[in-house]
Order: sequence, then C-alpha cells, then structure tokens
Amino acid sequence: MFNKILIANRGEIAVRILRACRTLGVGAVVAYSEADRDSLAAQLADEAICIGPADARRSYLSAPAVISAAIVTGCDAIHPGYGFLSEDEGFADVVRAHDLAFIGPSAEVLERFASKEATRRLLSAHGLKTIPGSTMLRDEEHALAEAERIGYPVLIKPSGGGGGKGMRLVRNARELESAFKVSRSEARAAFGDDSLYLEKFLEENRHIEIQVAVDRFGNAVHMFERDCSVQRRHQKIIEETPTPALNQAQRLDLAECALKAVAAAGYENLGTLEFLIDGKGEAYFIEINCRVQVEHAITEMVTGIDMVALQIRIAAGEPLGMTQADIVTNGHAIEFRILAEDPAKDFRPQSGLVGAYLTPGGPGVRMDSHLYPGYEIPTYYDSLLGKLCVWAPDRATAIARGDAALRELLVDGVTTNIELHRAILANQVFIDGKVTTSLLDRVGSAPFVAAGNR
Amino acid sequence: MPVREQGGNPRSAEEDAQRVRRDHDAISGLADDLLPALIAKLAASGLGEIEIRQGGWKARLRMPASAPEARGAGKAADAHAAASHPAAHSAVRGAAVHARPDDDLPGESARVSANSPAVGVYNPRKDLAVGMRVRSGDKIGTVNVLGVNEDVLSPVDGIIGSSLAEAGEAVEYGQELVRIELPEPAADKLADGPKPEPVGAAGKS
Repeated sequence: MFNKILIANRGEIAVRILRACRTLGVGAVVAYSEADRDSLAAQLADEAICIGPADARRSYLSAPAVISAAIVTGCDAIHPGYGFLSEDEGFADVVRAHDLAFIGPSAEVLERFASKEATRRLLSAHGLKTIPGSTMLRDEEHALAEAERIGYPVLIKPSGGGGGKGMRLVRNARELESAFKVSRSEARAAFGDDSLYLEKFLEENRHIEIQVAVDRFGNAVHMFERDCSVQRRHQKIIEETPTPALNQAQRLDLAECALKAVAAAGYENLGTLEFLIDGKGEAYFIEINCRVQVEHAITEMVTGIDMVALQIRIAAGEPLGMTQADIVTNGHAIEFRILAEDPAKDFRPQSGLVGAYLTPGGPGVRMDSHLYPGYEIPTYYDSLLGKLCVWAPDRATAIARGDAALRELLVDGVTTNIELHRAILANQVFIDGKVTTSLLDRVGSAPFVAAGNR
Repeated sequence: MPVREQGGNPRSAEEDAQRVRRDHDAISGLADDLLPALIAKLAASGLGEIEIRQGGWKARLRMPASAPEARGAGKAADAHAAASHPAAHSAVRGAAVHARPDDDLPGESARVSANSPAVGVYNPRKDLAVGMRVRSGDKIGTVNVLGVNEDVLSPVDGIIGSSLAEAGEAVEYGQELVRIELPEPAADKLADGPKPEPVGAAGKS
C-alpha cells in the first residue's frame, strides 16, 4: 500500500478521496490552488500545499506543479480525482517516470482507450454493439446506399470535428439528397476537410453505464449499472441504480457483456462503460471513462463497496479481493447533483458566499460536499456543490426519501438547482421511470420548476 | 515544509505556535501584496481610513492617531491590516494582525517580499546578502520544479532584508521567500509628496 497520496483535485471529490485515504490508513496531502486555500479539503487535511494560482491551467491542470508538489511533500502516489488530469495518458506517463504511482489505469491502458473511435472499434471487436454507422462517404450515391443499410433517421457527421458544424439529421432519402452537399461544404469551411460519415440517430434514448473493476492480475468484476438519463445539455443531473428501464435479465446481460469485453481488451482499475439504450432496449456502447465517476456513490450505497478505496488498492497492486459472487446489490439509490446554477436564468453558474448550510439526515441519506457555512464559492471552477444521495429498499421509497432530504437541504446565499430536483421527482415521467436524455432539453426546465412551485 | 498542518491530532505547544506563526505569515503576505496599492489610495484620497474587502478577507488602513505630519501616509508605517475570515476551522486566522509589528520605529521603511513562483525547491542566488540593493525584476533566486528553474524576482526596487526560507527548502506557490525593504530615499520622497489630511480626517468628511 502507498505511504502518502497527493490529492490533485478540489471540491467534493478531494474530500471524498481524503476520507478514503484515512479509512485505508494512508497519509494524504491536498494540493490546492490559490482560490481553494480555504477549501474544506485543504482544511480537513493533515497536510496541504498550494500548487499554483486560481487558473486551473497553472494549478490543477499543470503536470509539473502537481508532480513537484507530490515530490516535495514525500508522496508516492497521485490521485487525480475526476476531470482535470484524470484521463491524461501523458500525465500518467510522466507521473510514473518520476517513480510515483498514478491512481487509475496505467499510461498504456489510458492510451489504448484514449480515442473514442479506436475504443469503439476495439470493444466492438470484443463483442459490444456500437451505434451503427457508415464508412467515409464517397459520394451522394454511396451515402444513400449506406443510409438505406443503417436505417433512417441518420445523422450526417463530418469526420473533421465537432460542435455540431456540418451535422445534419435526415429522416429520408429526399432529405439526405438535399442535405448532403450543404454538409460537405460546411465541413470543408469549418474543418478544411469535407469527409462525411453517417451514424444512426437514436431518438429516445436512455444513458446507462456499467461500473467495472479490474485488477493487475486480470480479476474482473462489474458492479451493475447506473441510469444517468436525467440530463441537461449532456450534463447528468440525477443518476439512479438500478435502472427502471431494463429488467433483471437485461441488466445482468448488459453488465456481463460489458465486463467481458473490457477485460478481454486489457483494461485495468475502475472503469465505466457508457451505453445508449434505444426504445427497444437495444444497448449501444458509446465510450469508456477511465476514472472514478461523480456518481460512484450510488453504486457504493447498493453494493456496500468503497469504490475510491478499491481504486487505490488496485493501483497499489493489490488483488481485488472479491469475486463476482461477492457483489450483491441491495435496494435502490438516487443521486442529485447539487449545482450552483440558476434554473430560472438559463442555468447560469452562480458564485457567492455560503451563509447557512444545513445537510439532511435520516435513514439512507448521504451528503458528499465541500460546503461549509462561510465558504466562498470560487468562480473559476465547475458549479458542483455536492451530491445528495439517498438509499431505500425500493425505488418509490427512495424517491420519497429524496424529496424529504431535498426539502431539508439548505444552502443559503447562492442560487441552486434544489427545487428543480424536487420538481423532477414529482414529475410523472420520472416516477414512471421513463425519462430519456433529451427530455429536459426538449420541454425545458420551466415546466418542471413551475410544477414544483405550485 | 511549506505545508499547512491541520487536523484533529493533539499537537504540542510548539507545533501550535508554529502553526500560528505560519498563519500569521500568510496574513502578512496578503497584507504586503495589498498594502502598497492601499497606501497610495489612502494618501491620494485624504481620508483617514480605508477598508477593502476581497472574498472573505478584509483589510483596513487607518491614519495614525498621533502621526507627525512629516511621516506622511505614504510611508504607511502605521498602517495595519485587520484580517478576518469566515471559516470556522481557521479561528486563528481570524485574529487581527499587525502587518508590521515594529512599525513605530522612526525611519522604518515599508517592506514587501519576493514570493515563490511555483511549488518546488528554493535556492537563493549565491551572492544574495542582507542589505544588497535590488531593482524591480532582479533575480533573487530560483525555485526548481522537476529540474526546471523558475526565477524568483524582486517585485520592487529595494534592499534585501531577512530570508524567510532556507536554501534547499521545499516551498509552495506564493510562499514568501525574501523580505525586500523599500530604500529610505523612496520613503523620503513619498513623505515629501502631497500631505494627507491629518489625523482624524475620517470623522470630518
């Protein structure tokens, strides 16, 4: 096991990692930027070190600053948390070159899974279904033939870049014919590359991900799924497990397929495989996250496994110490991301001084947060204030406990999305377990907020 | 080590004292960054007192109650910063701190410090000595970050004062490394400048 870990992150995950270190009896140093001098993690830590200014590029994203901090504080490992440097294979490589351990997959593994396109091909070769798509389109005739093969509706996508430029949704051959040339010239103008391909468009999809853990010795387990379908502009805001969208057999099947593919592809440490599930229950692999997820806590609540401690143990070269048979899920858990955003003002991020701060309690309630009364929310980073998670023996009770907990949660001095969460919980589509990823964006949050205020 | 040590473990009185001193140093650092700007504002405004808030911090400068006019606000010798902080865990940092404990000495010059540009290992330049004159931007030493030296620069024209970190010491970003005292002529010049309102001006306007 490691002697001392540098925590190269901030906010609630820095606190979470610190807790795991203490549970494992491992020393920890919190690396913080000037803007986080008074952060909860820096205050709770036995040791904390300032690594740079508020600008993340010169602190949390600076490999030299982070590694130098680890060395001068006598750490032998770096935990990158999520975001920042957590999936940067170059960083993982440099960390190892300085005789430090990177808590996550090795640089080789990160590199193998760095490209989304290559990862899809790799895992597709190991049996995972990916979203049907075409090869590069030669001409209009080729495009029509490929669209026919994949099945409408399809997205025309430029190979050169993203951001929606040159991208077109077409529902039939006539639309494809008229859109093809426009997409081609838009792509040429935007990316200097007019190559296009087609991808099947999944209209009403759910986002479901499978949690896996693989040790250095090839032992591999999955911890079932998390349903992250409640999203706003591709940002998850509520996650739950188990998913209400799949039955027991489908859940098990998806988890086992995912685990088999990722283990065969040589993955290591914690990982999350994300899938889109279409209306027929068909699962399409989209990407893998090679780190601890924000929403790991709900898996902890139903499995009883400390995921961060497990991640650290695997990185230290320890065996999993459990088999698939040891992993039994119990009950239902829901996570609410508490964000400093104003739903009434287009979710503009908020900053400010936290006044009163009261966290909810009761059976099955867990609050992971870096807030405290008097905390000044810096403007430089993301708007996540914390994660309220609830557990109950069944989904209906979990929803009831979620609502009770959200009513108790008080964050004074800053506008949050707490009321939006309550409105979603009260919405029949959510109660029925039928939310799709586009729902919030399509209907907007206003009806939810209005319904919640009635 | 440049780390803040906190937490629930019982500490010896010496450790406590060290921690308090480090915290005080941190406040002094903040005050030293802010003071030159505040002093100029105070002198120009003719007010008796000025207070600024930034985040959870607050710094207040007040004209001395018995300052001889000749000293002037520009010397800021009597300015002291009160710093307070809302965090429950850092009660010690909430204490009011004199930015200059010895600021009543006649002729005392204003001081600032050269701070670390990065987290790493500090080494002063070989010929660095107390009393040496430096210009703004002069190299005072280096902080070694993974084999790459980053320069520690003097932020002002001044005279090298006491060292706040040893050669070979691990330092964090922003840590004060060397005190720089502003030379007398500069202070005199300031004193010759526009005279601020005498003591108690705050009450008048």
